[in-house]
Amino acid sequence: MNDINLFLAKLTYTSAKLTILPEIILILGLVAVVVIDLLSKGKNTFLLYKISMVTLLASAVILLWQWGFFTAYERSHARDFGNIFRFFLLICSLLSISSSVDYILCSKMSLAEFLLFKLAAGLGGMVLSCANDLVTIYVSLEFLALSSCFLSGYTKRDMRSNEATMKFLLMSGASSSLLLYGFSLLYGLSGGQLQLDKIVDGIIFNRYGSIIYLSAAFTTAGTAFKLSLFPFHQWTPDVYEGSPTPVVAFFSVTSKVAALALFTRLFGLIFPYFSNEWHVAVGLLATFSMILGNLIAVTQRSVKRMLAFSSISQIGYIMIGVLSADSGNGYASMITYTFIYILMNLGTFACITLFGLRTGTDNIRDYAGLYMKDPVLTFSLVLCLLSLGGMPPLSGFFGKLYLFWHGWKAGLYSLVLVALVTSVISIYYYLKIIKLMFTGKSGRSDTPLNSRQNSLVSLSISISKNSLEIAMIICALASTLSGIFIDPIIEITRNTFF
Amino acid sequence: MNISELIHDFVLALVELGILLGSLGAVLLVNTVNSAFSLGLVFTCISLLYFVLNADFVAAAQLLVYVGAINVLTVFAVMITDEPAGSETTARGIGYIITAGTCTILFSILSFVIHNTKWSDLSLIPQSGISTSGTLGSNVQQLGYKLLGEFVIPFELLSILLLAALVGAINLARNEDAFIVNKKSAASAPYKNSTFF
Repeated sequence: MNDINLFLAKLTYTSAKLTILPEIILILGLVAVVVIDLLSKGKNTFLLYKISMVTLLASAVILLWQWGFFTAYERSHARDFGNIFRFFLLICSLLSISSSVDYILCSKMSLAEFLLFKLAAGLGGMVLSCANDLVTIYVSLEFLALSSCFLSGYTKRDMRSNEATMKFLLMSGASSSLLLYGFSLLYGLSGGQLQLDKIVDGIIFNRYGSIIYLSAAFTTAGTAFKLSLFPFHQWTPDVYEGSPTPVVAFFSVTSKVAALALFTRLFGLIFPYFSNEWHVAVGLLATFSMILGNLIAVTQRSVKRMLAFSSISQIGYIMIGVLSADSGNGYASMITYTFIYILMNLGTFACITLFGLRTGTDNIRDYAGLYMKDPVLTFSLVLCLLSLGGMPPLSGFFGKLYLFWHGWKAGLYSLVLVALVTSVISIYYYLKIIKLMFTGKSGRSDTPLNSRQNSLVSLSISISKNSLEIAMIICALASTLSGIFIDPIIEITRNTFF
Repeated sequence: MNISELIHDFVLALVELGILLGSLGAVLLVNTVNSAFSLGLVFTCISLLYFVLNADFVAAAQLLVYVGAINVLTVFAVMITDEPAGSETTARGIGYIITAGTCTILFSILSFVIHNTKWSDLSLIPQSGISTSGTLGSNVQQLGYKLLGEFVIPFELLSILLLAALVGAINLARNEDAFIVNKKSAASAPYKNSTFF
């Protein structure tokens, strides 16, 4: 009995010490998906879905447990930052898998590979957000990019999907090469160090000023491609338009969140010595992203393209939070807004996926009169869109308020003013869709709705289509209500300054 | 300057000339087969560069993997695909000028900064560490120790990455219609081509 207790205590301690245990569980789940699909010859889709969900949940639970275990003993802020982002990525993967299973089954594609790529992308993002040396950062970034690339080309018969894959592959290759060039300069200047904190010690900032600028510029360009900040955003709308909708939902949040974690860590740790110049440069990028993203989004006709430009502008808002970090609050405003952004964006995309499944279109025009046909879908979409725009009672408003207030306190007056003005523009184009849904005459989209619904009923055999609706409603509710619970979220995220 | 240093410089210049000419050929040649072969020249010269820099294992790996595997695959792929139609019409619009200007500015900034940096002042910390603990034996053994010691997490991650890449490649190459027929017999669902793709 004593032995067992000792063994259990040892096991607990070991698993709490093993900080990559959540990732290991994800890898096991990923292998299990492949093996079970092989053994059951692609028949048992529901089991695969359950396995991936259970894996993600177990990973999230263990992550939270480890986090609690460690904060009881020692408190390290860098670890808090990484843990928060790993948890965000797990939430993204959970919600997006549950909202995309129906789509995959209804369009008669194989589920196993899809789940594998999603788990792999989530894994890459998780490793990226807690990686501490340049090699791991690069490998996990490639992991994320390659899985996203396969996901975006998942509908092989669609020409636009193929084009999106090609563009995504080339762009991610180009951005990785830029990032690697910056990394190689860092590696050389620090005298052959790979760990981020040792690089900071190794670099002599006074003597090699100009070449460190160059390295910072290349690294910024490489990560800005991943974040799709303004001058590096051209791939975003095309890839978003071509890829299948649930996949777009996935990488509008996952790759953004992971790249954000990388960006913040790299520049918070390595380049704090010339923070003035860096602040000016990133501030310019954020300003242009906000202005152009919102202005171009007004003119779009496809919902996916519109959301692509809106996500570009949202990244601009998040950048305010990165810039306004101080030692008192850390990156609290940025992390809080990122959390709310994940929920809002996934909710919006879940609604669009459901609409696309029923009607087979994603033109804004076809949303006319949706209120008459499906009030639940309409209300969820309205809630998510208003939250994205930042209407007062919803959580998007509180997130933006906290972000802008924080930015104002940090002295980023022009940036906050631009953000306020562009928020108003964004409310205009979100409200345009909402107005269309409530007042528009439902004309030509009647017939495809019926035929699609018939095929949907006959097709969704093993998995009820509830999971998509559940994910949609969860996201809508969370993006509405998390504004009320914003205080504890801020309290958790406050201690995250390196 | 003694004679061995002179020879070293000469070989280095020759190899770099090969890299430069080969990459220019890979970009500029009209016939894609020729550019694939000049890509092979670039890879070979890079491996020679590693030899000159005294990294023999990396050089051999580069030669085996890039020239032996990847470049041969590229040549095969180029030979199988059709001749592109209308490749002569290269319109040089405003985008061409902007790109050329950006590349020139980037190149001049890079060469200016690299030229003005005193690289010889850098203190190579791990280099001294290796030379003192040089009991590990040859270059390859040190590489192995590093890979399975310090870099074990990225190393194992790469194996998962290869798994994902393999599945992705199979997924791309698989005949989708066969899959659907299989699925139909398995779940007895009515076969209907999905029309929204």
